[in-house]
Amino acid sequence: MPPSDRVALVAAACVLGCNAMAAAQPVTVRDAYDRAITLSSPPQRIVTVFASNTEMVAALGLADRIVGIETFTRYPPEVASKPLVGGRLGFSVDAVVGLRPDLVVVTPARQAAHQLLDPMQRLGVPIIVLLQRSVWEILDNIRLLGRAASVPDRGEALAGGLGSRLSATMRRVKDRESPRTLLITGRLGNGLLLVARPGTYTGDAIALAGGRFALDGRGMIAQVSPEAILAADPDVLLYAGSPAERDELIGRPGWSEMRAVTTKRVYTVNRAELLIPGPRTIDGVEHLAALLHPTAAAQ
Amino acid sequence: MKVWLVLALVLAGALALAACAGHEWASPVDLARALAGDTDMRSRLLFEWRMPRVLAAALVGVLLGLGGAVFQGVFRNPLAEPYLLGSAGGAALGATIALLVPLGASQSLLLPALAFAGAWGATVLVIGVSRVAGAVDAAGMLLAGVAVAAVLGALRSFLMLALSDEAVSLQIVLSWVLGGVQTPTWAVLGLFAAISAGCFGLTTLLARGLDVLGLGETMAIGFGLDVKRFVALAVLAGSVVVAAAVAFGGLVAFVGLAAPHIARWLVGPMHRPLLPASALVGASIVAIADAIARSALPPSEIPLGLVTAVAGGPFFILLLARRLRT
Repeated sequence: MPPSDRVALVAAACVLGCNAMAAAQPVTVRDAYDRAITLSSPPQRIVTVFASNTEMVAALGLADRIVGIETFTRYPPEVASKPLVGGRLGFSVDAVVGLRPDLVVVTPARQAAHQLLDPMQRLGVPIIVLLQRSVWEILDNIRLLGRAASVPDRGEALAGGLGSRLSATMRRVKDRESPRTLLITGRLGNGLLLVARPGTYTGDAIALAGGRFALDGRGMIAQVSPEAILAADPDVLLYAGSPAERDELIGRPGWSEMRAVTTKRVYTVNRAELLIPGPRTIDGVEHLAALLHPTAAAQ
Repeated sequence: MKVWLVLALVLAGALALAACAGHEWASPVDLARALAGDTDMRSRLLFEWRMPRVLAAALVGVLLGLGGAVFQGVFRNPLAEPYLLGSAGGAALGATIALLVPLGASQSLLLPALAFAGAWGATVLVIGVSRVAGAVDAAGMLLAGVAVAAVLGALRSFLMLALSDEAVSLQIVLSWVLGGVQTPTWAVLGLFAAISAGCFGLTTLLARGLDVLGLGETMAIGFGLDVKRFVALAVLAGSVVVAAAVAFGGLVAFVGLAAPHIARWLVGPMHRPLLPASALVGASIVAIADAIARSALPPSEIPLGLVTAVAGGPFFILLLARRLRT
């Protein structure tokens, strides 16, 4: 190899090396528990616990870096077959460590943070805890994951785009009368119903879509009796589930006289959009706005 | 002597097996590498996480074995178990508060502290109630225990309903109540070992009194034992032991009942050998049960108390049948 070529090669190697070093700058992010998490290099093997965290990482274009998920993660399809680290009975430290992750993302539900935070901290595996108390916090989570994964621009672009869509929806429904809305998210064996509450991202989605809560009260517990729903008599009744379940519910005695039933404003909504706090939640807000304000959506 | 050798070997085998067991089984070579200070993530998992957990499980078993032997001795009833006098309900209430009420302090401290306080406090309350009611005998204490446990259980259920939300899940409380050994750091494990040694010393002091009491109350009084005072003291000491077990292991069913029985078959009814034998048996049982809990259903973990209950239920029935036949 002639000396000049060798010089060129060394120079090229240096440029590549320097680039790699620039990308390998340690990144520090602050999570929902106000913990500072430092990643010394961009994570290549990410365990995402829960569908929401998986969907956010995948939406950043990093689905191929996800190495582990939990049992109830089904979207996007390309990650659905990844190894499982836990399910209804809790989460396995062994299984997570077996995947040799360099980043773990969890939400404090179903014991996940409780079971994984302490061991990962002890082993020095970066672990980010995310909360989603509002729709805007979901966008912040996307930005945070973008920074943590060393793709901050992608995070900004994705969250920015979703944010503009939210703003557009809010503009469309502004100055319109907010229908009194009630979203039933589940049914319990004892006959009680689970409803979306203020102070949660699902409740926030209703407010952003131009609805207001038919059942008042902050800190209201999520389980309410069917009687309270009849008494609240919402303008719009939403059911997160199948049309057959919805029809069975409103076919019960008393429900047929409810305002939402007589005015035919009982709708089913998509569980994945409104009960998984990820990018699809913004689709959910748009779809909700179309149901709550059918004339506004046409504009 | 041979019996002790067997007990020690069984415990050593149980510990080794438990250290290997997991969703990802480790070989003895892996364990040796981890002990030698290998820095691979898996080795550190074994050293920082699994080994302290296995040893903590064994210590929980030691305490349950000791507690069970004391309670069976005090109540002179082979079906007595260490959670008899409200300690389970009190511990569960304390743990629920630690897990669900935002108290500001670190949960790794609060949880064992409040579980301990609840377990011991409940037993003190039971003894107090039975005194006030003028029923200081065993039957009086048992009935007071049932009443206190019912009240504490209701309080816990109410707290669970009122304070749980999506973030602080009911599952956390439930899985604690169903038993599960906390994984301590090595430093905390050292503290736990010291506490366990203290508990062993404390129960050893009771050995002679328990032997004398076993002869019947009249005989015991004849031997110069202040029975009422001794029973109260022994129950308080026994419940300290159980509270320490609960603080680190949650509610682990049946071990405190079964371990003293197995020990009695091996070393006889005298408490001086019975207490350490029961401790060793308890340690082996909990170490193995914890290994099953951690490895049977990957990637999930079965609550330890469920494993011991499934194995212990039939054992309890066996005991009952033998007792009825004799």
